Amino acid sequence: MAMRQTPLTCSGHTRPVVDLAFSGITPYGYFLISACKDGKPMLRQGDTGDWIGTFLGHKGAVWGATLNKDATKAATAAADFTAKVWDAVSGDELMTLAHKHIVKTVDFTQDSNYLLTGGQDKLLRIYDLNKPEAEPKEISGHTSGIKKALWCSEDKQILSADDKTVRLWDHATMTEVKSLNFNMSVSSMEYIPEGEILVITYGRSIAFHSAVSLDPIKSFEAPATINSASLHPEKEFLVAGGEDFKLYKYDYNSGEELESYKGHFGPIHCVRFSPDGELYASGSEDGTLRLWQTVVGKTYGLWKCVLPEEDSGELAKPKITFPETAEEELEEIASENSDSIYSSTPEVKA
Amino acid sequence: MLARTMQTPLTIPVPVLRLPRGPDGWSRGFAPDGRRAPLKPEVPGIPESPGVPESQESQEQRARAALRERYLRSLLAMVGRQVSFTLHEGVHVTAHFGATDLDVANFYVSQLQTPIGVQAEALLRCSDIIAYTFKP
Repeated sequence: MAMRQTPLTCSGHTRPVVDLAFSGITPYGYFLISACKDGKPMLRQGDTGDWIGTFLGHKGAVWGATLNKDATKAATAAADFTAKVWDAVSGDELMTLAHKHIVKTVDFTQDSNYLLTGGQDKLLRIYDLNKPEAEPKEISGHTSGIKKALWCSEDKQILSADDKTVRLWDHATMTEVKSLNFNMSVSSMEYIPEGEILVITYGRSIAFHSAVSLDPIKSFEAPATINSASLHPEKEFLVAGGEDFKLYKYDYNSGEELESYKGHFGPIHCVRFSPDGELYASGSEDGTLRLWQTVVGKTYGLWKCVLPEEDSGELAKPKITFPETAEEELEEIASENSDSIYSSTPEVKA
Repeated sequence: MLARTMQTPLTIPVPVLRLPRGPDGWSRGFAPDGRRAPLKPEVPGIPESPGVPESQESQEQRARAALRERYLRSLLAMVGRQVSFTLHEGVHVTAHFGATDLDVANFYVSQLQTPIGVQAEALLRCSDIIAYTFKP
């Protein structure tokens, strides 16, 4: 019997989710941060979508959010004219970086020593996180608000997108190396270090360029305006979502549309593959994040493949016993050497 | 003549163990034991061993979790049973308990015996309930 995709909906945000980012794979798994117009970016466990914490402090919509590679730090870009750096373990705010206009994008270098920011003031800023009081280095040149800025080529270069251009800058000299012009608004940009690939979306197009030369590699057309796309780490698939509320999965090599999913109740603003490629996350105008399996039916995270012979009732039975005593049991919990209140027998004693 | 019907292929949705957990609604999260903290600097002299007493906060949290779980299980145990509700103004009603909603804001009951007759199905607002009792 064929399996149907079961997306996992992560609720909690109260307004549209406009950006999301995964960390790298850490000894504790990988993590996911979501930027929301409600001003409260959230950190979640990447493979389950379980909420870990909310970064509280911004006074306006959060437009961009990112995690550093080992998920120890988070950075957010907001409409309150600040970018903030956070301790992603404790949730504490570490730094507030004042800007002169709405900040839209933030990105850490691989070593987490520098933070790149960009926004409506059309300037790229590079902050030395070890010297937060020092003035950032500024790169000017964009003629419209910067939507996305990313480190690339091992942090030796910077890619930035405004409304109609994508520009490549050299970090050391802070000068423009190359630029691409578009006649349609660029909606998103993703950088894939392995293979130096840049994924750009504009109109209904999903385009792939070399991140080094900006030369085009290939592009696909989707049935609707696309707001975000992501390439699978192994470059077998890409996923994209946009204005028709649907998610599309394509074969990267052939361009064939493999799967499409309805589920969101509003346009999709961001879509990203997890670092292990096993799932992808989408953020929508409807205020939710959804997690989707790359290979439908595989056991991973919260998805469990149940074969027909297995007792599928197992999933329904809780594995916790109902405590019978009152005070004793609560004392147990308070005591140092308490046994776990969860037993392994799958009975429920009412 | 054979009538040919178009059949959509039968598919079953991929089963899930549970849904992703959402925010708890009262804290900003980042619980110390919610996920293992990567490489926090260790305070010297305090060994990590199972015999170390839990902090006051952890104890309290475990107690809260246990109480919450007992309450939810008590609701499960009530299903299908006759429950007596004490409402405002000294009103007492009895009914068969059906279910509650996610926030425990309403109780769905059947055969609600009220002073003005028996209601086959009804929703009782939990804010109207002062107390309730049942025999398991």
